[in-house]
Amino acid sequence: MSGSQTVVLGELPALSKLYVNAAAAAARRRILGAHGGTELPAYTHEVRGVKPDVTNLTAYQHLIGETASDVLPAGFIHALAFPLAMSVLNRDDFPLPLLGMIHLANKVVQSAPVLFTEALDIRARVENLRGHRAGTQLDVVAEVRATGQEEVRWHGVSTYLAKGVFLPGIDKPSVSATPPPFSAPDPTALWQLGVDTGRAYAAVSGDFNPIHLSVLTAKALGLRRSLAHGMYLASRALADVGAAKGDAFSWDVAFEAPVFLPARVALDISTVQADGGAWQRSDYVAWNPLSGRRHFSGTVASLP
Amino acid sequence: MSDKYTQFVSHGLGRDIAKRLGLPQPVVLRRHQPGRPLIDGPVLVQGSTRGADSLAAALLGWNLDVRRHAIPKEKLGAIILVLDELAHPADLEKPVLTAATSLRDLAPNARIITVSRTAASTPEPATAAARQGVDGLLRSLAKELRAGATGNGILLADGAGTTSPGTLGAMQFFLSGRSAFVDGQFLTVSSAAGRLPGDAGKPLAGKVAVVTGAARGIGAAIARTLYRDGATLILVDIPAAGDHLAEVANEVRGTALQLDISRDDAGQRIIEHALTRHGRLDIVIHNAGITRDKLLANMDAARWNAVITVNIAAQLRINEALLASEHLPDAPRIVSVASTSGIAGNRGQTNYAASKAGVIGMVRATAPLIGGRGGSINAVAPGFIETDMTARIPFATREVARRLNSLQQGGRPGDVAEAVAFLASDAAGGISGEVLRVCGQNLVGA
Amino acid sequence: MPVNGQSDPGQPRPGQPVPGPQEPAATSSAQSPKGGDATEAAAAPRLRRAVVVGGNRIPFARTGGAYTKSSNQDMLTAALDGLIARFGLQDERIGEVAAGAVLKHSRDFNLTREAVLGSALSAETPAYDLQQACATGLETVLGLANKIKLGQIDSAIAGGVDSASDAPIAVSEGLREVLLDLNRAKTVSRKLQVLSRLRPKDLAPDAPNTGEPRTGLSMGEHQALTTAQWKITREAQDELAFNSHRNLAAAYDAGFFEDLLTPYRGLTRDSNLRADTSLEKLATLKPVFGKNLGAEATMTAGNSTPLTDGASTVLLASEEWADAHDLPKLAAVVDGEAAAVDFVHGKDGLLMAPAFAVPRLLARHNLTLADFDFFEIHEAFAGTVLSTLAAWEDEEFGRTRLGLDGAFGCIDRSKLNVNGSSLAAGHPFAATGGRIVASLAKMLHATGQVDGRPARGLVSICAAGGQGVVAILEAL
Repeated sequence: MSGSQTVVLGELPALSKLYVNAAAAAARRRILGAHGGTELPAYTHEVRGVKPDVTNLTAYQHLIGETASDVLPAGFIHALAFPLAMSVLNRDDFPLPLLGMIHLANKVVQSAPVLFTEALDIRARVENLRGHRAGTQLDVVAEVRATGQEEVRWHGVSTYLAKGVFLPGIDKPSVSATPPPFSAPDPTALWQLGVDTGRAYAAVSGDFNPIHLSVLTAKALGLRRSLAHGMYLASRALADVGAAKGDAFSWDVAFEAPVFLPARVALDISTVQADGGAWQRSDYVAWNPLSGRRHFSGTVASLP
Repeated sequence: MSDKYTQFVSHGLGRDIAKRLGLPQPVVLRRHQPGRPLIDGPVLVQGSTRGADSLAAALLGWNLDVRRHAIPKEKLGAIILVLDELAHPADLEKPVLTAATSLRDLAPNARIITVSRTAASTPEPATAAARQGVDGLLRSLAKELRAGATGNGILLADGAGTTSPGTLGAMQFFLSGRSAFVDGQFLTVSSAAGRLPGDAGKPLAGKVAVVTGAARGIGAAIARTLYRDGATLILVDIPAAGDHLAEVANEVRGTALQLDISRDDAGQRIIEHALTRHGRLDIVIHNAGITRDKLLANMDAARWNAVITVNIAAQLRINEALLASEHLPDAPRIVSVASTSGIAGNRGQTNYAASKAGVIGMVRATAPLIGGRGGSINAVAPGFIETDMTARIPFATREVARRLNSLQQGGRPGDVAEAVAFLASDAAGGISGEVLRVCGQNLVGA
Repeated sequence: MPVNGQSDPGQPRPGQPVPGPQEPAATSSAQSPKGGDATEAAAAPRLRRAVVVGGNRIPFARTGGAYTKSSNQDMLTAALDGLIARFGLQDERIGEVAAGAVLKHSRDFNLTREAVLGSALSAETPAYDLQQACATGLETVLGLANKIKLGQIDSAIAGGVDSASDAPIAVSEGLREVLLDLNRAKTVSRKLQVLSRLRPKDLAPDAPNTGEPRTGLSMGEHQALTTAQWKITREAQDELAFNSHRNLAAAYDAGFFEDLLTPYRGLTRDSNLRADTSLEKLATLKPVFGKNLGAEATMTAGNSTPLTDGASTVLLASEEWADAHDLPKLAAVVDGEAAAVDFVHGKDGLLMAPAFAVPRLLARHNLTLADFDFFEIHEAFAGTVLSTLAAWEDEEFGRTRLGLDGAFGCIDRSKLNVNGSSLAAGHPFAATGGRIVASLAKMLHATGQVDGRPARGLVSICAAGGQGVVAILEAL
């Protein structure tokens, strides 16, 4: 991203501090009003020489159903980069309230595997501030390289929505045609998610956002029950695609209805093969088997 | 199942109490243990005939401590009363009263064995009277004996002498602990057939034997005893008893054949199993039996027929198949388990007694048929035997039934098995068509 | 066409280990059945036969019934002891015993060897555990038969056991970690520290579930998808279940199991057997699987197997060993094949692997379904059997999935599970293979020759994890 300035942090910021900061900023805004910015900060935050904790890695792999190999799951790298990404959103010059932002979609390109033994340089920035029919959305871009190398191993784009926040000068998109109603296929899997699913993922990902932790903390933030982390759900789907995806792939997910815990989630994975029989991509979609509402859908595909 | 009373009155305080109160004083019987001597103490052979001499010589050959004359105050293991040349009842006096002077010198669990001739084999009234007299004499004497001692008799038919294999075999059986619960009984040696075993410890070595109803009780005991005596076993019981059958089979290193013996092809199945799996079939023990007790006034066809079918009709059909088979070896042996109910009758057991009396009739009639092949068939009639079945009899009834015999106790399944094993051995080859009661000389019945 | 278990004449296998002592050296005299080049590779050595001598099982009991307190080891030992008694194997040193259980306690790490030690076999009989889900029993038969064919062993006992009553319960992950850390803690204060992590919820145990680990769907839900996919009707499933009960009851009444089964714990017949069931009664049962699918739910407790406890064993031997021991030779274990499907991504139904394994196995032996006299297709669910048959009869499945010109073929239903199968007998997972092999061997032996060739039987068993194992047996 040209024209941006890089801020090198000494270490990965602590998410808990960021959440406290965010809460404080929210309170300040409530009292003082929005600070009025309509531009995204042109700063890239970077941390160098990050080494993942192998115990935590193993716990993460077990929780989402990956074999505990030496390769970092794509979702684990997302979790690793998450505090740095949050630190950008937590900047004073970031124009939107961090708390209450909704994760709309995520797109990862894993170009080459990352081993837990490797030291990593992680960069994060925000871009593409734009309108949404329900508020304002933007992309958080993170990149992971082996320390000192140029080649991007992992590239992630997370799209967030600040619901109900409309910034001056940013137009709502024209309302697109409503998508066709979702009709659930036969499931290939059925997940039973306990009420502690959010806490369990928080423990391995470090994302202790109160909306995931318990009914009480979720209620404090205006939700009737706690929610499963979107990236937990997407990471499980990625794990379920299995070994066919290899070491290099793209992984998209679009989140729709949130998964309130506890929950039963039905999933369908369908695989598309190339003419020669090689794996081309796996499409997945998850829904509530009782209501039929779609929770999320996405694709894992081989890289061209 | 254990007879606690017998144990109680056999030692110390219990013995004193029973003596003072005049209670029955059963003793713990001497039973066969492999490796132990045939009998403890000297054996007095009473009688001066040539038969007595040759018998005494034979017994000496078994390393027994044989006496031809009693030594006063010497404890005797057995008195053998050889009465093989009786011509008149008056001939009884001398040998019998001479033996009488030694009765008080009998050791516990001693044996009295008479050897005499069958009354039916003489046309001479006085001789017949003398020979038949032995019957009354022995049965009464057996009732006078105490402390586990028993009295039994060997009857010689025309073809048999005092040293015929069958006579010596029966002698061995009666002297030994194998006959612990046999009392007041006679065995007839009808021929000089049979032979004494080469290995006294394994008289059934090399034999293949089938035992029906082998899953439990007397059948299982028969299997164990035949195994101890060296036989290879095929154990038969109904499929529903297969788990117990398997346990017994594994214990006696045999093969289990789950088979309802009342099936039409049971005989063929048994023969086929024996021939294909063991190459031969020497011995068949018809032990399987059921009871369906009811007073005759309340009897229904199902109860009646079930008992007749299993207890006698099945044996008849299997025997037919055996006798028709070309694959039986020389000298096949069949032993059927009858019952004293079939001899003396028992209230509520018209069907059972009919079937068991039927077994006795079958055995007698089959003896000449199987004799043609050098074989033998006999029956053993158990009296009160301590089994799972008799353990279910109410306590008081059971106690009375136990004491109603000369030994004042119930027998063990193993006692029946010993008699069966003896009759299944070649030593008993000269004995056929006989019914041997294993009842401790039950006071009711014959 | 191979007749005696020379498993694969079409594919000579170089590097085959040298078989048993009496094995003739198979070198240049390679018989290449299809006129191929005999010199292109070392010919497969001529293998000797592995024969089924007989079998024994205990009656199968519905879970929570007669065997509630019996462990896998108890039941496997009982089945072994019955086999030993039937064939007079007391103190015999068997070449090898292999068995397994699907639901297994960690204490049963050496289940089969422990059962051998508790049995009347020689204590010098080696044993190993094997597990391939519901195919465990059949796989022990195939693996041991191969060892016999190679001459590595002369006799073997294959088996399987399962108890859903005495299933292992795991402690919760929280408690497990605390206990393990407690064990590692050296000091009292460290131990107390570890213990302080314990929370009340950690004390709730983790019950085992029969769901597929990768999908979370129960086997029944998986089969419901397949049943719906192949449009198997409720009526067809109930009819198959009815036939299973009727055939099994008739087999018992005819004494068929007299030399195949030894009672245990008071049971003399499979407790799931309902001799008096009827199509009308089966029709009244409510569906239990597939209720959330778009299609009508058709799978009931009547046309699905219940959880069952039980054990089975099969005595295998070389012909020489059987002859030397005066034991019967019922049937030869000709060959086997395993297959697996990708059910995780919905490509095929969870239990459809046999639909692939059978065509592969038959092709290897130049056989078609018409060449068989008995079909023993394990009835995990009625829908499983019917879906498999439907797939074989389906032109498109044959072309696109099996690579054939058309449908694989159809079977004569009168040859299917003629003495009942799992719907009636029940299905203690690892024990089903032994039940089927022993019963089929007996049927084949009784049938003898058909049209001048030995009677032939096909065994097909589906298994969790999208697997299937199938085998061919031939009468002797």
